[in-house]
Amino acid sequence: MGAEFDDLAQQAANDALINVLARLDDFRGLSRFTTWAYKFVMFEVSGKVARHIWRGQSPSREGLAFEQLPDLLAPQPGDRIEQREQLKALAVAIGELTDRQRQVFVAIALNEVPIDVLAVQLGTNRNAIYKNLFDARRNLRASMAAAGHPVPEEDAA
Amino acid sequence: MADLRRLDEFLRAEAGDAGCTAGEDILDAYIELELAGEDPARVFPGTAIHLRSCPGCRADHNGLLEAARRFADAQPE
Repeated sequence: MGAEFDDLAQQAANDALINVLARLDDFRGLSRFTTWAYKFVMFEVSGKVARHIWRGQSPSREGLAFEQLPDLLAPQPGDRIEQREQLKALAVAIGELTDRQRQVFVAIALNEVPIDVLAVQLGTNRNAIYKNLFDARRNLRASMAAAGHPVPEEDAA
Repeated sequence: MADLRRLDEFLRAEAGDAGCTAGEDILDAYIELELAGEDPARVFPGTAIHLRSCPGCRADHNGLLEAARRFADAQPE
């Protein structure tokens, strides 16, 4: 594992250097040059780690199927009645999402699959997956509000 | 497994979210403001919102913040 990550780190450094050299004209001096350059290292590391994780997964490994959600959302001892009703409404609302939104939401929000790993798995990029996730969350909030179980807006502070 | 009892965070979708791509462009400047003790949300409010909601961009942000904090003044050997 150590050698694998050493190799991954070397590849990330090499590819980041290529990116930095190709984008030198884009540097506008809004940060120290090193911070600007490290940004490309970080992006390379994120992408390469995601692909590494994805390749390491068993082909038979599948995300949580939607059919399993009722178990996941089943009321637990100690839940208040309000929480139980809220979870029931959430299960119904998840079922009303588009296939793509449900796929992304279940993977990231329920299975806690890293967003970049899911992007590799689905052959797309982080931004597209995030858009699916954002739309899913908005739709779920709207559905739950319509069902009489609004989720209060969080404190953004 | 996700904690479904934290629904507010679980369903976080704030208006004004700038998305991933916009944040990638200015992440270095955002970090420098943080390191200078300023509030980057005043300059880049959409990215501040986005970083609360996007786990991938938040991880990049945290990694870059740490790298800049530790190595940004490093000199060539």
